[in-house]
Amino acid sequence: MEEDFELLGKFKKGDQHAFELLVRKYKITVFNTIYSIIGNTQEADDIAQEVFLKVYTKGSSFKGKSSFSTWLYRITVNKCIDELRKRNNKIISYETEFGEEEKLKLKDILASKERDITEELRQKELQDIIQKAMNSLPEKDRIILTLKEIEGLSYNEISQVMKISLAKVKIWLFRARQKLKEKLAFLYPQGE
Amino acid sequence: MFCTKFKILLSAYLDQEITKEEEEKLLEHLKKCADCARELEYLKEIKKVLLLKERREPQEFFETKLFERIKDKSKELMWRAYLPVFKKSILVFLMFFLLVAGLLNYRNFFYQRRTEVTSDLLIDTQWEENFEEELLEIYYGSLG
Repeated sequence: MEEDFELLGKFKKGDQHAFELLVRKYKITVFNTIYSIIGNTQEADDIAQEVFLKVYTKGSSFKGKSSFSTWLYRITVNKCIDELRKRNNKIISYETEFGEEEKLKLKDILASKERDITEELRQKELQDIIQKAMNSLPEKDRIILTLKEIEGLSYNEISQVMKISLAKVKIWLFRARQKLKEKLAFLYPQGE
Repeated sequence: MFCTKFKILLSAYLDQEITKEEEEKLLEHLKKCADCARELEYLKEIKKVLLLKERREPQEFFETKLFERIKDKSKELMWRAYLPVFKKSILVFLMFFLLVAGLLNYRNFFYQRRTEVTSDLLIDTQWEENFEEELLEIYYGSLG
């Protein structure tokens, strides 16, 4: 975190190289956050560029009240929300219902105790299935699950990024998991 | 069993985001409630599925494209930053021009025009001399 402040401080003084280092450090994080929420790699790429452009133009106004990464996540999430609302997509934009074959594949992969790294195709299919499940969720649920499960933020950090109370974080996360569970109910043959 | 409150705690327990006191109450409840115990297992499965999600890289030349956009954006920002100054400069120049033009031509606007002297009013000295001679002749007769 101190390194981030140091780099940002140098950038504010006009050190372009410091900004490049920040981009290099966070580009994968930003890209994956966006991809998890938006569900499309090309759009995720474009939005990630928008995020860093905003950091570049607004970097001088960052007052350091939160960590740099929190601030960056906040910009990222806001950009995703703007994009989703532009598309008028509150729930579904891509194919989200699982076919029978997909259900079997996912069960198979989860049941497998040995991870065969040569099976790239299976892994890719698994990723697509998981992303499909995420795409099926409302905007709010996608965001909170991404921040917690994909990015590993603490409740406190999520609370700062989404500007909601800790109590709301707990409840929203609980509901998001419930909805995802409904989507993946086929994994649990006996149901609830 | 109506266990919504504990189910919310289950989610937080999975993330290790509950207090010791809450954890104790929850574990006590889990011993008695099969429904919540099953719920905890489901949540663990969901977590496991999401952990399988691989991290992807942005497309090739991400940084190159970004810095190109930043260059373009910087030019745009510079133009925007100087635009008000440019506008003010134009305004000042126009005011200065009007002032100078006004100063150069003020005599035409603020001073009365001199009456033009026509040649008719100019005294013809030759005529006056002739007239004087005629007057003298009338009063004193011809001298010659």
